[in-house]
Amino acid sequence: MSSAESRQPVAEGFWGDTGKTGLGSWIFSTDHKRIGLLYLYSVTGFFLVGVILGLLIRIELMAPGKTIVDAQTYNALFTVHGVVMIFLFIIPGIPASFGNLVMPIQIGARDVAFPRLNLFSWWLYAIGALVVLTSLFTGGGAPDTGWTFYVPFSARTGTNVSLAVFGVFILGFSSILTGVNFVTTIHRLRADGMNWGRLPLFTWSLYATAWVQILATPIIAITLVLVIAERVLGAGLFDPGRGGDPIMFQHLFWIYSHPAVYIMILPAMGVISDIIPVFSRKPIFGYKMIAASSIGIAAAGSLVWGHHMYTSGMSDTAIMVFSFLTFIVAIPSAIKVFNWVSTLYKGSISLEAPMLFALSFVLLFSIGGLSGLILGAAATDIHVHDTHFVVGHFHYVMFGGTGFAFFAAAHYWLPKFFGRRYKEKPAIVGWAFMFVGFNVLYWTMQVLGMHGMPRRYYDYLPEFAPLNFVATVGSWILATGLVIVLVNLVKGLKSGEPVGENPWGGATLEWQIATPPPTENFEGDPVVTHGPYDFKGVVKP
Amino acid sequence: MTTTEAIDPVFMFILGSCLVLLIGITAAMVLFVVRYHRSRAPEPTSQVDGSLWLEVVWTAFPTLLVLGMFYYGWSSYLTLRDVPPNALQVTAVGRMWSWNFLYQNGKNSPKLYVPVGKPVQVALESKDVLHGFYVPAFRVKRDVVPGMKNHVWFVAPKPGSYDIFCSQYCGTSHSAMIATIEAVPAEQFEAWLKETKATGAQHPALALLEKHGCLGCHSLDGSQKVGPTFQGIWGRKTDVKTAGKEHEIVVDEAYLKRSIVEPNADVVEHFPPVMPAFAGVLTEEEIRLIIDYFKTSAGGAKLDGAKLAREKGCLACHSLDGSKGVGPSFKAIFGTKVKVVRNGKPEMATVDETYLKESILKPSAAVVDGFPPVMPVEDDLSPDEVSALVQFIKELK
Repeated sequence: MSSAESRQPVAEGFWGDTGKTGLGSWIFSTDHKRIGLLYLYSVTGFFLVGVILGLLIRIELMAPGKTIVDAQTYNALFTVHGVVMIFLFIIPGIPASFGNLVMPIQIGARDVAFPRLNLFSWWLYAIGALVVLTSLFTGGGAPDTGWTFYVPFSARTGTNVSLAVFGVFILGFSSILTGVNFVTTIHRLRADGMNWGRLPLFTWSLYATAWVQILATPIIAITLVLVIAERVLGAGLFDPGRGGDPIMFQHLFWIYSHPAVYIMILPAMGVISDIIPVFSRKPIFGYKMIAASSIGIAAAGSLVWGHHMYTSGMSDTAIMVFSFLTFIVAIPSAIKVFNWVSTLYKGSISLEAPMLFALSFVLLFSIGGLSGLILGAAATDIHVHDTHFVVGHFHYVMFGGTGFAFFAAAHYWLPKFFGRRYKEKPAIVGWAFMFVGFNVLYWTMQVLGMHGMPRRYYDYLPEFAPLNFVATVGSWILATGLVIVLVNLVKGLKSGEPVGENPWGGATLEWQIATPPPTENFEGDPVVTHGPYDFKGVVKP
Repeated sequence: MTTTEAIDPVFMFILGSCLVLLIGITAAMVLFVVRYHRSRAPEPTSQVDGSLWLEVVWTAFPTLLVLGMFYYGWSSYLTLRDVPPNALQVTAVGRMWSWNFLYQNGKNSPKLYVPVGKPVQVALESKDVLHGFYVPAFRVKRDVVPGMKNHVWFVAPKPGSYDIFCSQYCGTSHSAMIATIEAVPAEQFEAWLKETKATGAQHPALALLEKHGCLGCHSLDGSQKVGPTFQGIWGRKTDVKTAGKEHEIVVDEAYLKRSIVEPNADVVEHFPPVMPAFAGVLTEEEIRLIIDYFKTSAGGAKLDGAKLAREKGCLACHSLDGSKGVGPSFKAIFGTKVKVVRNGKPEMATVDETYLKESILKPSAAVVDGFPPVMPVEDDLSPDEVSALVQFIKELK
């Protein structure tokens, strides 16, 4: 295609077919695609904020003693890094952005079940985010409690914990309402012929996720209100001097926050289950097992919160039960990995950017999952709990898993919605930097943890210095890759080459409609006649 | 068996299994990607979308493996909980941001001295927020939770120093909350443990006071218990009730003797008349010894401000050598003028006794410019202890 042609405007689709333009047509739109993009822009913005904070943490830890900031600032840095990354990026990340963009089309619907509620959810997200940001610059200064807000420290620190916690409380409602919306949509709005056995696995994963959002999120909302009651009213709920119990806070916190890990990872697994078959041109291996394991993970994952608390002083009986259940959750995760790898067997594999991110997801998630076994076993967890091993472990799952899946999804689906695509070469170079930098950074952290370096440490003993330096260098390689990937994506989506309806040869419904999709997605009501990974009738790209 | 010996084989087993699985998964992926790359395999050569046999195998195999890991991990964990019966008992007190270790004979130390080869049980106590007692070398860790009884045990196999880290985040100087275990040969440890007695703290009367339970109701450190404190008792002026009538007395030999033998004759104001009589329980000689002790040590001996400053954790943030810590250095601070922030407004303050007292009791009232407002409130200090600390700071040149 010549460069003259590529400058031609692409067909408008939902970008212009309503005739409405300007900011108002976005922030008051009820179109699931516009709301999906609003989420995408917001979560990516906060992701970048989180990345910068993370890089500052690594620079501070580059050498023992003070490097760039003092201890109090460092404590605020890792707290805000955690709060921003978890509550403003990963939890809404894939489900609210790509879920909104893609899920209604995948099931053959014109929109979600409650479009105005969907818009309201984004507004709650925006307001919650604003409150969290305000808390950083007002009152006693940025919270310094860690994202876990453990009492009694969070009840007595002079920093602006109450406002930050209130912001997270609002964000929780955004998450609950999105969950309600998605469950209803998937139950009620499937097109003719779209039975549960033909549901794309991304949609299956969103369905499992939505239930966790609905059931678990209210618990953190209540817990956070209790923290505010503790701080403002001196309620004494968590103060042993007044009959309260600090361990009870940890139970309440993790009853939500462990299932939240599955809110973060399940949609990512769904993305991968959709991408691998397309780039192997082969049906997914074990469709039913993958769908069932999503539900299995969501159910069993809701019962394992205590594995964050083996050292807390909780009873040994509780430790035994939680350790046992934790190992049970490992099984459906393993099943997924084996099925993904088997899908590759005898396929016709194309290593384009979405596939590279997806395959590296499988590897990084496996490392994260396997190091999780060390944390699940009572004997070994005691040594590595609250050390850099845990930090490395959950970054493998959250960033290597969900983060890489987020980029896989961006490279896979965004050309469909923007009508233009990024350049392939820079995407691959950027991916390579990210993959190498990622492992240098987080593998090293796991080793540091094995050697006993505790987490949330501003300063450390000289014996930890060499590995900390290596990890910091890793963070720079990773950041370089991120910059290349993001610049290439943004440039490509703005002014790259136009793409057709089905650039990858996908068999799910989103690839059967115009690019970019029109406002109500389908002309007429679609009728589904084949499964999501049935590539027989699909024209090769 | 040491804790390390119990835990490390579990690490080896799980790490080894994980490594095998990881290599297997990676090898399969790489092999498939290379072998079935579109350049070599333009068309897929199979459209198989599942296999019941395979699903059963790769459900059953990980299930057995993880159940094995669970059982091995759990049974070895029990070693960490099963304290050997002959363990030495020590209490670790964590506070923001220092450790103090208390031994059963009343000795305390900022370093945890232990005899080599003998199991040690450490009871964990927090004065404020959550802390974590973590000794990487021994693979033990347990949170230190206010209001809760937690413990760890370990045995140091060789003489040497081992790090203790605070593993549960506790605020500004969390990472500075490091202490060491000094493992020394048993004889050396015994000698070290007895050292305190030699330096005079252990008056023979103290054993008597302990034996007869006096210290259950009367403190030695000024704190309020059921009865008046013994600290500074000699020569104290106090109001007592005799046969329902109030009058002031000065604590002297006659008063003390009567109070031991016939405690409800004169009862100090605001205290309940509940002390049992010790007539016939203590000999004349023993009573003389106790009164002698009150006359000298408990009454006369001043509180050691330097010792307090260390035990109460002040020195974790305030240096003695002028170097900047989390808080201002104590060195030559008395009499200086400092810029403080009071009620959000900056003002100048002179570091005098009033200012120091306020800073100890209400640290956030006036915070020195350039320092974070993070000092914890010490609500368990007696007025005498506060004075001793002020005196200590005053004399630091």
